[in-house]
Amino acid sequence: MPSVMSRTWESLEEFEAFLDDGGIVEVDDAMPDEYRQAVFAFIEMHANSELMGGLTERDWIPKTPGLRHKMSVLAKTQDEIGHGHLLYMVAADMGVKTRTEMLEDLFAGRSRFHNVFHYQAKTWGDQVAIAFLVDAAALASQQAVFKNCSYGPYRRILKRIISEEGFHMRLGEDRMMRIAQGTEKQRALFQDSLDRWFWPALQLFGPDSKPNDVLLKWHIKSERNEVLRSRWVQKFVPMLHSYGFTIPAPDLRYDEEAKQWDVGPIDWEPLKATLAQGGPDSARRIGEALDNWQRTAWVRSALESAPESGPEKTGNPSPVPA
Amino acid sequence: MNPIEEFIFSFADDEHLIGQQHTEWIGVAPFLEEDLAFSSIGQDELGHAVLLYEVVLGLRETEATDEAIDALAYDRGASEYRSSHLVELATTDWAQALLRHWLYDTVEQFRWELVVGSSNTALAEIAIRVEREERFHRRHADALLDSLLASPVARPVLLAAFDSLTPFIANLLAPVAGETEAIAQGVVSASITTIAPLLEQRVADRFEQTLSITADISNSPGRDVRSDHFQTLMDRMREVIDYDPQAVW
Repeated sequence: MPSVMSRTWESLEEFEAFLDDGGIVEVDDAMPDEYRQAVFAFIEMHANSELMGGLTERDWIPKTPGLRHKMSVLAKTQDEIGHGHLLYMVAADMGVKTRTEMLEDLFAGRSRFHNVFHYQAKTWGDQVAIAFLVDAAALASQQAVFKNCSYGPYRRILKRIISEEGFHMRLGEDRMMRIAQGTEKQRALFQDSLDRWFWPALQLFGPDSKPNDVLLKWHIKSERNEVLRSRWVQKFVPMLHSYGFTIPAPDLRYDEEAKQWDVGPIDWEPLKATLAQGGPDSARRIGEALDNWQRTAWVRSALESAPESGPEKTGNPSPVPA
Repeated sequence: MNPIEEFIFSFADDEHLIGQQHTEWIGVAPFLEEDLAFSSIGQDELGHAVLLYEVVLGLRETEATDEAIDALAYDRGASEYRSSHLVELATTDWAQALLRHWLYDTVEQFRWELVVGSSNTALAEIAIRVEREERFHRRHADALLDSLLASPVARPVLLAAFDSLTPFIANLLAPVAGETEAIAQGVVSASITTIAPLLEQRVADRFEQTLSITADISNSPGRDVRSDHFQTLMDRMREVIDYDPQAVW
């Protein structure tokens, strides 16, 4: 159990020594403001990404072929939104922004979310590619954070998230395998999705970590971006090849000396564009989310001002407003 | 069509399509807890549809594989569906979606009660099983309505949304094809029309409104007539299936 006592550190150096020693920071601790801001921004982006990922997938949920299949896909997206819900709580507890402020910043385009969710899922093949490639990339990143994360509340939430994301990845793998063993039309559909989603999924890991990356220095992340990216490449390139798909990387080669796949030079411009809300689907995604948020404002407003006597009629608990 | 199957389809198709409609709300409900609640309820309703399609397959002595269930859920011609027009209605208005949720689940409770002692033992067992979930669906809708109807801003919005749905009630409670035979065989204890006075009372308690359904029922189109919304809904549901009819996804 985390201590309820607030701990303090005399200096940033002393705090960093505490972190280097494997110390775990709790929400009540008087953590240095630089650390609080860095952890908060990281969790906020993770929460935003879970929510926006759910919005990317929701376009295809009503079209899922098969009743039980639809229930599985719905459960997956429900998990993603649920992760967002948990992460916003952890972030809000840090006292930087409330959940409503975070959501309003997201819908106004003032805060970030993962590059992959600035793209539109245009086909069912894209939906499968997201579950297969993107979820695996996200899971690898989360596992690297969970392994040695110095912020206790985030680390504990990640344990649950990671276990559920593992199911999602297996669902995506299962769906990809059905397509791989399916008709020519199915395979062509997935190849087209692979052509469009391979690079964004790979870019999700970000450029090589800088030597002074505070996320590494403060043990928020435990592995460098390039290490995680390479691990993903080593897993997915041979797997996709084994199913007869083509990797859309003209310079792809197997480095015999290093015994690993090398995808060649990576163009980081598309990633930079998404960071500036200039991705292919950024405007629609953010615009629709904002429109929806505004159209349902009357519900939140009414619940916030609802008299306490409301629920007495049926004895039901009052719903929790945002 | 076999009358008992036709009767079961009227319930199964309703469960399927209301579940389908609820899935449209994930990520776009007014707040995150509602995203989760609505999609969870939708998931339950889709699960109930699976159970009811399995009852049809049981009558046919056919194994309830995913393919067999999906053939019933997606591959019948429009004229073979027995859904009510309420669940075929597409809406992007959350007040209307919430009121439909309340209205549908209120009626659904009484529908399950009509089959809880069914001579079809599979159906009777499902009726008992689903009530464990359905009571939470009703509590969810009621808790929201308790709070929102107390708000001077939200109340007129909700009452207008309810008014927009009242024309669908007669069709929802109109006699279901096959139910005469289903009553005779003990599959269901009474006609769906017997729910009308029970619903009228619930509406009076909830909205302080007088609703007269019984007279409209006899003038309502039956469930063998599809509403204008049906084909669009079916095309949306079948988009991936129609992309490659040979495919297994």
